[in-house]
Amino acid sequence: MLNATKEQAGSATLIRLSGAIEESANFDKLLGPPPAELIVSCKDVPRINSVGVKAWIRYFQQAQAKGGKLTFIECSTAIVEQINLISNFTCGGVVESIYVPFSCESCQKELIGLFKTSDLKSLNFILPELKCSKCGGKAVFDDIPEEYLGFLMK
Amino acid sequence: MSSLLLISDIPEDHAFATQVAKSVGCVLIHAKSPEEGAKMLRDQSPKFIFIDGSSAKTYQKFEEAIHETVGLFSELIQPNMIHFISSETMDSIPHLTQSPLFGHLIFRKFDKLDECAPVYARVLAATAKERAFGLENFLRPGTKIQTIQLKSSDQKQGAVGALTNYLNQAKFQPRMATQISNAVDELLMNAIFDAPIDDTGKTLYSNTPRSTIFKLEGKSAVEMQVGFDGEYVGITVVDHYGSLDKARLLNHVSKNYSDETYKLKLHQAGAGIGLATIYQNGGSFFFSSCVRERTEVTVFFRRTKSFVEFKNQFRFFSTQFYF
Ligand SMILES: [Zn+2]
Repeated sequence: MLNATKEQAGSATLIRLSGAIEESANFDKLLGPPPAELIVSCKDVPRINSVGVKAWIRYFQQAQAKGGKLTFIECSTAIVEQINLISNFTCGGVVESIYVPFSCESCQKELIGLFKTSDLKSLNFILPELKCSKCGGKAVFDDIPEEYLGFLMK
Repeated sequence: MSSLLLISDIPEDHAFATQVAKSVGCVLIHAKSPEEGAKMLRDQSPKFIFIDGSSAKTYQKFEEAIHETVGLFSELIQPNMIHFISSETMDSIPHLTQSPLFGHLIFRKFDKLDECAPVYARVLAATAKERAFGLENFLRPGTKIQTIQLKSSDQKQGAVGALTNYLNQAKFQPRMATQISNAVDELLMNAIFDAPIDDTGKTLYSNTPRSTIFKLEGKSAVEMQVGFDGEYVGITVVDHYGSLDKARLLNHVSKNYSDETYKLKLHQAGAGIGLATIYQNGGSFFFSSCVRERTEVTVFFRRTKSFVEFKNQFRFFSTQFYF
């Protein structure tokens, strides 16, 4: 079930989405008409299904049509997958930061690290290792760079 | 003794077919060219056919050779017994996905032969039965299968949530659990909204908003089966319409959705994109449909140590139709 909180961040409205985006998600009801400047945090969106994808695009296309400024921050892995999969998913918005998946080589724990997309580009998509929060072991990027970071390489 | 005919000159395919034939208890006969294969098909009437489908040109030769020997609509050759082998993604093999002979597609990822051959042997054994129905056919013998009956359309998210918990308990990484849950979400949605048809074959709810609540009773009953055999999790979704359209299904999954020219249109059915992604991300499918009676769609995923391994796992896309 999708929830959202709204706050003012300078001249922009910051919306923090949380919960799975599926058929019960009603963006219009939840968020009202898209403001001129919108920042969307997707940190707590663990899952989006195909109906959710359509609802998402329908809402953010309104924002795009109004000519407003749209920024996505803290995109969860589920959201990044859709950005890569569907070319109009971001509806002309800017993806500022994303969560990147890592896996511990010792205990196999799945970890995520937040990266600015500009930093990923300057790193030339070579990701640093992380320290596992569970066992202190070495955690490495756990996806295929051309697939997970593909939208930044285009 | 029944036989498995392999038509391929790729050593990897031979190693795979040898193991599978052994596991399933049949003799392997091997043709290195399409022409030789067509002759063996005519003379030895194999039970199963594995064929390298990588190149459109070679495949064309096979269809031509079949046409000349037994004919494309012969009893000796039916989609249910044909297994294409290819290393390509589904959007780049239209010669296979549009072939009237499409039955099964095996992704050529045989580096862990000891793991993938027994799995595929079970698939083969299931196809040899009168009807390939039941999740137990595809998992290790003795695997406990749990069944959930959905009584109304709004129980779908609850079923998906229950599955996510099940996967967490089975120690699938959260990302894997999400992928699998999404896969099953799509299958349930198909069973609830796309499968129901009237007597003329017209869909009843395909244009109904997916948040609509209605009862799933009688013919509209939908069931989900889940089992984990220690390596693979399998989830089967059952409906009682048997309305699955093979050509439409293959058309959906063989589109390249990430192509720059592709823009998701809001009126488009959602399921195709879901299924294409699932296969790309390591999921295997077995679609079994008895026309106008029953459709069972099963997805399989191996639990792996990392997500990269998960994405790169051996997989297959099988369809089995009974008329
Ligand atoms: Zn660790």
